[in-house]
Amino acid sequence: MSAAPIRESATGWYLYGVVPAGGQAPATSAVDPSHEVVAIESGGVAAIASRVSLDEFDETMLPERLADAAWLERTIRAHEQVLEAALARTAVVPCRFCTVYRDEDHLRSFLTGHSRVLTEALERLAGRVELGVKAFAAAEPPSAAGQAESGRAYLEARRAEQRRREELAASRSRTAAELHGRLSSAAEDGVVLDLQSPSASGRDEEMLFNGAYLVADRERFERALEVIARERADLQLELTGPWPAYNFVPEELGRG
Amino acid sequence: MSRSLQHEVTLLELVDRVLNKGVVLSGDITLSVADVDLVYVGLRVLLSSVATLEEQAQLAAGGVPAR
Repeated sequence: MSAAPIRESATGWYLYGVVPAGGQAPATSAVDPSHEVVAIESGGVAAIASRVSLDEFDETMLPERLADAAWLERTIRAHEQVLEAALARTAVVPCRFCTVYRDEDHLRSFLTGHSRVLTEALERLAGRVELGVKAFAAAEPPSAAGQAESGRAYLEARRAEQRRREELAASRSRTAAELHGRLSSAAEDGVVLDLQSPSASGRDEEMLFNGAYLVADRERFERALEVIARERADLQLELTGPWPAYNFVPEELGRG
Repeated sequence: MSRSLQHEVTLLELVDRVLNKGVVLSGDITLSVADVDLVYVGLRVLLSSVATLEEQAQLAAGGVPAR
């Protein structure tokens, strides 16, 4: 098999993201480690891409690959590492995992066809990074209703429990709104993300806020977060990033 | 926080971003909704194997796995 020539049709182009024209490809290992990461320029922007075997990345083959946990982890990390290496040098519009073109012409027509929106997005992202902030609260104490002995005591406990839950929900939504307002004022832009369940967050505490921010001045943003952390000892705050700006892709290119 | 737990959280955070965000309207070949579901199934397998490895490491060290 090793003597067989590589068929042109057997490879496609995996697109990691788009950088300004003149941007160089990072010297990072690609999702298919047998090929190099390269920059392909068209329409005044450059694609950060690498060749991939369509035996691995074709629609018909992907489900099998995705079910392979080791392949999945290695490939997702390679995708992210290429983008982070690119981000260390320049602005990047990140693409979703497993964005593949069948040939270079198709990739180039994406760049030229979206030249204006990509250029504007890159200008907006220049010198800025995405940071993630999550807030967790201590777990709620268990309900007292289950322990009440008489029927009347049970009903009263249930009503009290209901009131307590409503107050808690209202106080948490005020907390989330306050956090988002204060963090947004230290950032260029911000979005509220879906809350994660304890199994996804990996923490026992309940998540009550999850946000992403586009930040130019990281020190200022982190100071704002520290002030909140000092004032709100009842919250556990978690800062992640810098990330490629996954949450700040223009609506015309994302799902909006 | 143990090293392996940190590894899990980071991977999940990463997966949420690389699968659900970024430039979506691009590519001749892209992940379908069913593919994304598959990824989360695959990830659960991966994370449960990490938890198993952690337990084994604790057992090997003479400890009792946390429940």
